[in-house]
Amino acid sequence: MKQWPLVLIGFLFIAAWPLLVDDVFLQRVGALVLLAAISASAWNLLGGYAGQVSVGHAVYFGAGAYASLVVYTELGWPPIAGAPVGVAVSMAIAALIGTPTFRLRGHYFSMATIAAAELFRILAANWPLLGAAVGLMGPPVPRTVADLSFLSPIPYHYLFLAVLVVLLTLTWKMQRSRMGYYLAAIRGGDRAARSLGVPVLRYKLYALLLSAGFTSIAGSLYAVMVGFIDPDSALGILISVKLLIIAALGGAGTLFGPLVGAMILIPLEETTNAMFGGGGTGITFIVYGAIILLVARFQPRGVAALWEAITTRRAPRVP
Amino acid sequence: MFLEARGIIKAFGAFRAVDGADLDVAQGEIIGLIGPNGAGKSTFFNCLAGDAEPTAGTIRFLDRDVTNATPEVHARLGMARTFQVPVTFEDMTVVENVMVGAFLRHHHRAGAMRKAEEVLEFTGLSHLAGSPARSLGTPGRKRLEIARALATEPRLLLLDEALAGLTPAEVRLAIELVRRIKGLGITIVIVEHIMEVILSLAERAVVFHQGKVIAQGAPRAVVDDPAVIAAYLGHHMKRVRM
Repeated sequence: MKQWPLVLIGFLFIAAWPLLVDDVFLQRVGALVLLAAISASAWNLLGGYAGQVSVGHAVYFGAGAYASLVVYTELGWPPIAGAPVGVAVSMAIAALIGTPTFRLRGHYFSMATIAAAELFRILAANWPLLGAAVGLMGPPVPRTVADLSFLSPIPYHYLFLAVLVVLLTLTWKMQRSRMGYYLAAIRGGDRAARSLGVPVLRYKLYALLLSAGFTSIAGSLYAVMVGFIDPDSALGILISVKLLIIAALGGAGTLFGPLVGAMILIPLEETTNAMFGGGGTGITFIVYGAIILLVARFQPRGVAALWEAITTRRAPRVP
Repeated sequence: MFLEARGIIKAFGAFRAVDGADLDVAQGEIIGLIGPNGAGKSTFFNCLAGDAEPTAGTIRFLDRDVTNATPEVHARLGMARTFQVPVTFEDMTVVENVMVGAFLRHHHRAGAMRKAEEVLEFTGLSHLAGSPARSLGTPGRKRLEIARALATEPRLLLLDEALAGLTPAEVRLAIELVRRIKGLGITIVIVEHIMEVILSLAERAVVFHQGKVIAQGAPRAVVDDPAVIAAYLGHHMKRVRM
C-alpha cells in the first residue's frame, strides 16, 4: 500500500488525541470513535468484504454486552471476563442464524438478519436473568483495577485502540490471504465464485463467525465502559443500522473505511446529542437518514472510494 | 470414459428443456454443442457444469458420478467453465480475478499470483493485469473468464458461447486461443451457434434440437445433414446450404 505514511500519521494522531485535548467530552468522543470503529470494522468483515449486508449485528454486540454484565451480576466476576463468554455465545448464535439465512440473497438476507436480531431483543427484554426490560448494571464502584471502571475516558481510549489495531491487522492479513480473495469473489457473484471452486457457504460462515466474534468484543467493551445496558442500548436495531452506516460512509470492504466512517459519524452524533440534550435522540435518526441518502446518491462506495478517485486522478497514468 | 452423460432430462414444470440427451467426450477432444436458440444446449451445458441439477439421468466425469455434485466439486475435480454472459468480479482487477481461480490449487498468495501471471501471459492479458475488470469490454471479459477458468488448472474446459458477440477479427483471435488451450492437453466442450467457429474448431459436433441430440459427427458432415438444416432453418428453406 502506498498510503502507509499517511496511515502512520493517522494512527499517531489518534493515539495522541486524548493528550492533545484537555476536555473530557472530547476525550470521551475519541474513545467512542474507536469503539464504533471496532464494531464497524467487525461488521465490515461480513458486510463489506463478503458483501453480505447484515442488519442484525446488534445480536452479536448485545451478546458481548450482556455476557460482560451477566458474569458480574451472577458470578461477581469483573465484566471484562465476560468477553470470551460473549464471543462463544455470539459465534453459536452466528452459526445458528447464518446457516439458514445465507441461502437467501441480497435484500432477503438483510431482512432475515433484522428479524433474527429483533427476536433476540424481545427475548432479552423478557428474560429476568438479563434484567428483562430494565437492563443490567456493572459494578457501581470499581472493586479492583480488573473491573476497568475509570472516570477518565483515557484508559478506555488506549484499550480500544489496542483492540482496533489487533482487529485491523488481522483484517489486513485476511484481505491478502486466500480468504480475502474468496470473500471478494463471493461479493462479486456467488455463481462465478462457485464455478471457480470457492466453497461459498463455508466462507460466508467463516466471515460471519469472525465478524460476530469481534462485534461481541465491541459489545463487551461498551458494557465495560458504560456500565449499564438495556435491550435497546445493547440489542436495538439502531446499533445494527449504525454499524452499517459507519462502514458504508467510510467505505465498506476497505481496511480503513469503518475507522474513517466512525471519525465522521460519532463526533457528529455526540455533538448533536450534546446540543439538543435528551431530546436529541431523534436528531440522531435524522442524521443517519441523511447520511444513508447522501452515500447512496453520491458515493455508494463511501469516502474511501472518493479518496481513491482523488489520488488516482493525480497519479500519472500508466500507458 | 472421460465425460459421460446418459439420458439427461431437465424439466421446468411440464416443459423439458433437455429431453433425454446423451453425450460422450473423450480426453483431448474439442466438442461443439450446436443448435438453434432454445434447443436446450445451454441448459444441458449447465447440467454438465453442476450449475443445474438434472431432473433425470446421470453424469460421470473421470469415473465419478457428478450428477448432483455442486459447482465447487466440479471445479475441484478439474472441470472449469465460462458463462454465456460474462460474470467477472467487477470490483477486482484482472489479475485478482484470475487469482481467485488460481487459489483452488495454490493456497498461498505468492503461488496463486505466479499461476495467475502465467495464465495472463498465456491468454494475452498481461498488459491489463492491474486494470479493474469493470474497465474491460466484452471481448476482454470473455477472455478474462477463460483465463480465470484456466487458472483452476482444469482437465475439461466448458465454454458457453465464449465467442458470441465478438467481431470477426476477435473471433479469429479467440479460435487461436482455444487451439492453444487444447495444446495444453485440456479437453474442451464448446457451446456455440456461430457455425464458422464449430467448423474450424470442433473435431466433433453434437446438434441439439428441442432438447434432444438429433445428429453428431464430423462438423462438415453434420451441417450437411438434412435434419440439422431443417432444425436451423425450418423445412421450407431446405434448399439453402450452409
